[in-house]
Amino acid sequence: MPRHFEVTRRDGAARLGTLRWRGEELTTPSSFDSKEELEFLNALTIHKAELDVAVITSQEDLRAERIDADVVILGGAPRFGDDPRGLTKALVRARELTNPDSALYVPALATPNNVSLLVYAGVDLVDPIMAEVKARDGYLLSAEGERQFDATSRSYCMCDACRGVNVADLPPEQRVTVLSAHNRHALKAELCIARENIERGTLRELVEGRCRTAPMLTALLRLLDEEHSYFERRSPIVRTATLLACSQESLNRPEILRFGERVIERLNKRGGILLLLPCSARKPYSRSRSHRTILKRLDKLRQFLHEAIVTSPIGIVPRGLEIMYPASNYDIPVTGKWTCDESEWVIGRLTKYLEANAFDTVVAHVSGPYRKVCDEAAAALGVDLIHTVKDENTLSSDSLQRLCAVVQELIVEYSPKQRDLRFDYIQDLADYQFGPNASTAIFAESPKVRGLFPTYYASDGRTRIATIVGKYCTLALTIEGARRYLRAVENRYCVRIDDFVPKGTVFAIGVLNADPEIRPFDEVIVLNERVIAVGRALMSGWEMQASKRGAAVAVRHVEAR
Amino acid sequence: MKTARASRRRYPRQAASGTTRHRTRANDRLAWTGLDLLNGEIVPSLTVLLTTKGCYWARRDGCTMCGYIADANPDAQSADIQKQLFEVLAQYGTAFKIVKLFTSGSFLDQEELPIDARDAILSALADTPKVIVESRPEFVTSEICGDVVRSNRHVEIAIGLETSNDDIRDSCINKGFTFRDFVRASKVAHSDGLTVKAYLLLKPPFLTEVEALEDAIQSTHDAAPYADTISLNLCNVQKGTLVEALWKKRLYRPPWLWTAVEVLKRVKPIATIICDPVGAGTARGPHNCGKCDRQVILEIKEFSLSQDSASFTATCADQLLWKYVLEFEKFSYGAPLVP
Ligand code: SF4
Ligand SMILES: [Zn+2]
Ligand SMILES: [Zn+2]
Repeated sequence: MPRHFEVTRRDGAARLGTLRWRGEELTTPSSFDSKEELEFLNALTIHKAELDVAVITSQEDLRAERIDADVVILGGAPRFGDDPRGLTKALVRARELTNPDSALYVPALATPNNVSLLVYAGVDLVDPIMAEVKARDGYLLSAEGERQFDATSRSYCMCDACRGVNVADLPPEQRVTVLSAHNRHALKAELCIARENIERGTLRELVEGRCRTAPMLTALLRLLDEEHSYFERRSPIVRTATLLACSQESLNRPEILRFGERVIERLNKRGGILLLLPCSARKPYSRSRSHRTILKRLDKLRQFLHEAIVTSPIGIVPRGLEIMYPASNYDIPVTGKWTCDESEWVIGRLTKYLEANAFDTVVAHVSGPYRKVCDEAAAALGVDLIHTVKDENTLSSDSLQRLCAVVQELIVEYSPKQRDLRFDYIQDLADYQFGPNASTAIFAESPKVRGLFPTYYASDGRTRIATIVGKYCTLALTIEGARRYLRAVENRYCVRIDDFVPKGTVFAIGVLNADPEIRPFDEVIVLNERVIAVGRALMSGWEMQASKRGAAVAVRHVEAR
Repeated sequence: MKTARASRRRYPRQAASGTTRHRTRANDRLAWTGLDLLNGEIVPSLTVLLTTKGCYWARRDGCTMCGYIADANPDAQSADIQKQLFEVLAQYGTAFKIVKLFTSGSFLDQEELPIDARDAILSALADTPKVIVESRPEFVTSEICGDVVRSNRHVEIAIGLETSNDDIRDSCINKGFTFRDFVRASKVAHSDGLTVKAYLLLKPPFLTEVEALEDAIQSTHDAAPYADTISLNLCNVQKGTLVEALWKKRLYRPPWLWTAVEVLKRVKPIATIICDPVGAGTARGPHNCGKCDRQVILEIKEFSLSQDSASFTATCADQLLWKYVLEFEKFSYGAPLVP
């Protein structure tokens, strides 16, 4: 059966898509407009025709195994108007049991205020019914919320419907006409904004702002965040937009939680001397003035140290991952103070990091809130930190002198191995992207690393094995790198395709199966009996397998097997 | 997954819990007086609630909107029931032109109301111009009607037909009888000289507002030839019912009062139709926006006595919303657009 809906772009659970129906193409997320369209869709729920439409009418349907249709309707959605918990469960469940090629339509619930959150949760289609109901109830809606009109109210809106009209003075029928035109306009405008944010990959930033305007929406976002795996499974591994952590909810973003998990669960265990440093506004940290000053002072001593940066809201960033999203590009309000939530989160990350590794000793070159956080984590583990900052100034010559002196002594005491720091980046990225021990499988003891920061590449003799590439700074394997990885692990980050030689793009229809761990923009290995290829995933692995439409992998190199 | 209307089959039956017995009635009066229509005249009436062991159908399976079983008393004996009536009559006298006897079940079911009690009660009211009792159609047999007539010749049997649509009565109400059963009962009662009143339910669960409106109008047309009076009952949310469970999940809203007004106006020419908006103006009862409810309730009551559509004069801004709901509610696929 030909599909009538195709997802063209993803931003977490949100998607841009195209619905082909009634001889035209509708770019989603979008709102149906006319009663005629609603009638048309309604007729399709009863008589199957060009478009396959299914309705989820009860809790029982939500327990179904799988629903496959072009459009899936979450029936009775208005009942969730003031039930964020019910709405969260229903949306997540509805999305998870429908095919990714299905457009999810949530009827009679969207307002300009809530629609960006609905879209964030994975809704593709809405309608103006609730906006019309609110107009008849006397409400003027906007992205910031709703306002009831009484005799003294004035609209300050400049839309075509409102301009020059004093809504409060109008007789009821005309007032409804104006309010309804305004409300529909506001809904469409907000959908435009949502689409634009999906395109830029910044919908999360939008909804963190929108959710501030109503307790129900804040609750909704917090409850959605509790569905971590649902969002993580859909979140790209990297993005170019800067992550703006401006709210309490930012701490629960899927990519922040994922980064924290992978630092603990995927990176190689380290020993020797750990140096903790504070974060910097400029990213990557090593390009900032503060880090350059400190690193220059340490100079060759660095080759004996492991560095990790303490930061809110990411937690702990090992030096090698400073070029990986979100550590590579995030921004937070800098006030010199941390909220309790922030401190607690960072303490937790640092504690876990120290537990997961086996450092002989930890040097903390930090001050202010960073120092408090480090001390609390150390206290929790009963570890002694060596503080090197004097007078609360990490860059003073006293502090830097003490840092160098302490590090020199420790090197004598523990005599750690000397390393090529450039390989740290490659090694950490390999483990972060491809899973525990990936770097050991792919690289020899100490491969040759060349290149300019951050686009290092590693070779074995004359054969290049992996390169840090592109605007995202992901580690791309060469075919040789891929072969080595495959020898150690069989299916991880692999996409098995039909019997054809891929050129340029592999489409989902050609994918036989794919590692469900693959996330959008992951570096992957493409395989069939004849060829081995490497490339970048354009959708999640589970989605490649379930979809029949859309580009799955952008292939970089192909070789005969 | 069918896309047709959801029905009660998808929802578990809510058992009426034994501990709630007498809950509603305990604080309520067991009898009250009022005004009703008798042969075109407005006359004083007396309504008496008799506590029996309750409706057998409710004990077995029950209707989706009915919570009366919570008021029943499984141990009610013939003597108790007779005593209940005589105490009321002692208090209120017997001068009423109409007496309504509500058992919240079937007055004619001898399992529920023993024959001796039935005959004693009806005989005691032999001089009342009209005695209204309620019964499911299966108890309206020529044998029972014959017995009834021997005790009292002015009995009107009220039957909860709810709707003339068998599909809705079955899948949305779970009534357990058909339109044909009602027609048969009506013919039997009439042949014995008794009169029949048909209860119609405005807005069973799983119907949209406009479906409910159309169903009530169609049902009035269908039932009118077999009923001397039609009573339009506006669905309200009773404790322990499926309707209540749906209402709590915001999947059910009692009818708008405007819908009731619309039905009454439209069917007036073809039937004598009365309506007592029980619990109206509350969240659990039929309601409008809250501003116009009192006025509209008064007008519905006035109409029930006058049978004159001129009773309806109220207007309110929420009529625009109500009209929108009629037109668009079906596009929500299962939930009311407004509470
Ligand atoms: S509505 Fe009538 S038949 Fe149905 S359960 Fe209640 S009393 Fe019994
Ligand atoms: Zn406007
Ligand atoms: Zn009103």
